[in-house]
Amino acid sequence: MSESAIITTNNLNLWYNGKHALESVSMKVPKNRVTALIGPSGCGKSTLLRCFNRLNDLIDHVKIAGEITLDDENIHAPSIDVVTLRKKVGMVFQKPNPFPKTIYDNIAYGPRVHGVRDTCELDRIVEQSLRHAALWDEVKDRLNDSALGLSGGQQQRLCIARTLAVEPEVILMDEPCSALDPIATAKIENLIEMLKADYTVIIVTHNMQQAARVSDYTGFMYLGKLIECGKTKQIFEHPAEELTENYITGRFG
Amino acid sequence: MAEKFHTELSELRKEAVEMAHFGRSMLRDAVDALIRQDEELAVSVVERKEEIHKMEVRLEERCYQLIALNQPMAKDMRIIACTLKVITASLRIGRYGKVIANIVRDLSDNPHIAHLMSLPHMAELVIDMVDDAIEAYDTDNLRLIESFSSRDDTIDALRHSIFRQGITYMMEDPRTISRCTHYIMVARYLERCADHACKIAENVQYMETGERVEIH
Repeated sequence: MSESAIITTNNLNLWYNGKHALESVSMKVPKNRVTALIGPSGCGKSTLLRCFNRLNDLIDHVKIAGEITLDDENIHAPSIDVVTLRKKVGMVFQKPNPFPKTIYDNIAYGPRVHGVRDTCELDRIVEQSLRHAALWDEVKDRLNDSALGLSGGQQQRLCIARTLAVEPEVILMDEPCSALDPIATAKIENLIEMLKADYTVIIVTHNMQQAARVSDYTGFMYLGKLIECGKTKQIFEHPAEELTENYITGRFG
Repeated sequence: MAEKFHTELSELRKEAVEMAHFGRSMLRDAVDALIRQDEELAVSVVERKEEIHKMEVRLEERCYQLIALNQPMAKDMRIIACTLKVITASLRIGRYGKVIANIVRDLSDNPHIAHLMSLPHMAELVIDMVDDAIEAYDTDNLRLIESFSSRDDTIDALRHSIFRQGITYMMEDPRTISRCTHYIMVARYLERCADHACKIAENVQYMETGERVEIH
């Protein structure tokens, strides 16, 4: 990968209660590109994703060895503030999880936590984030309605807008479409394509066609190891590793 | 589901091989009919045209269905891509057989000039290439197509030689013009068949390795 990397992992290992969940993962995530992680259930894709914003810190008995850098800075260095890290590295989960608040407050929540008080500024952030998440036109007349009244697809785009509101550099998406219907999925996929102009996206997906459609780079994981990582076109047209070939052609997994 | 798909894929491949053999037999019989001036055999080749067209439509449809329903990836995708090319190349080879068979009637009233020049030899080499290309597709054996580039050069040289020989005969005796023009055309059709064998070989290489090569 000759493109400049925003996130790099070097010999990353992770154990849950002594179970070796990630084994010597070394990869580079290119900036302003979409990188997909694929692999069978339990292969460590989500675990790897959660390493990038140190979400695994919240789980007991997790031990991590190796290095992860964001913009050439070790994210486990004592000087790193985890809240700032998670502002830089936002996350969208499998199931849309809007706060039980209004649409407006969902988006304004992050900026408020980070100290934005000015109403005009908050209005601007809310509108811009919703526009970036391709949701503005659908909700602009009901910003004060509860976010829970939105459809599943709209809720997921709201969660993406909420992530964008704190101006992250990287957006992690863990199966962002698996709870959505095909039309809502198509909207999220279009959105991912637009987002990469300003952000780096890392997406975990079970759906290989989705990985092939939306990503520029793909990493295939198996039993905690990163088997192969390269340009999506190459991985899906002629992967270098037999294991990758067997997985993407449905021979196992 | 993956198992069902892979079974269907190998069945498709088997049928594509059958179609390729069908096209090849049209060419083989057309050449034999030409050499032996056997009009009956030539007519039977012409009659096979409908059948090979039906095969093409049926197999192409199967390929599109497999793509639409299974979104194949990696080698599975490359197998289907290659199969589509094999289908087209086989149809063309069969059709050149038909075109050669059509000429047989015009040439059966008089003995051949110079024992058909180098046409029988050229035809053997071309049919060998077609056979090897089909077998490489059927068995994944890339060795069979290793020297296709130089074999194709030989075919081109033979076509050129037949062209010059034909012109010489025509200049010597204008009564041979019609016959020699047909020989030159047959040489051209055989050369095209070798090109289709090369196309199959290129695609077998892609199917096996994912690498694109150009054979010419």
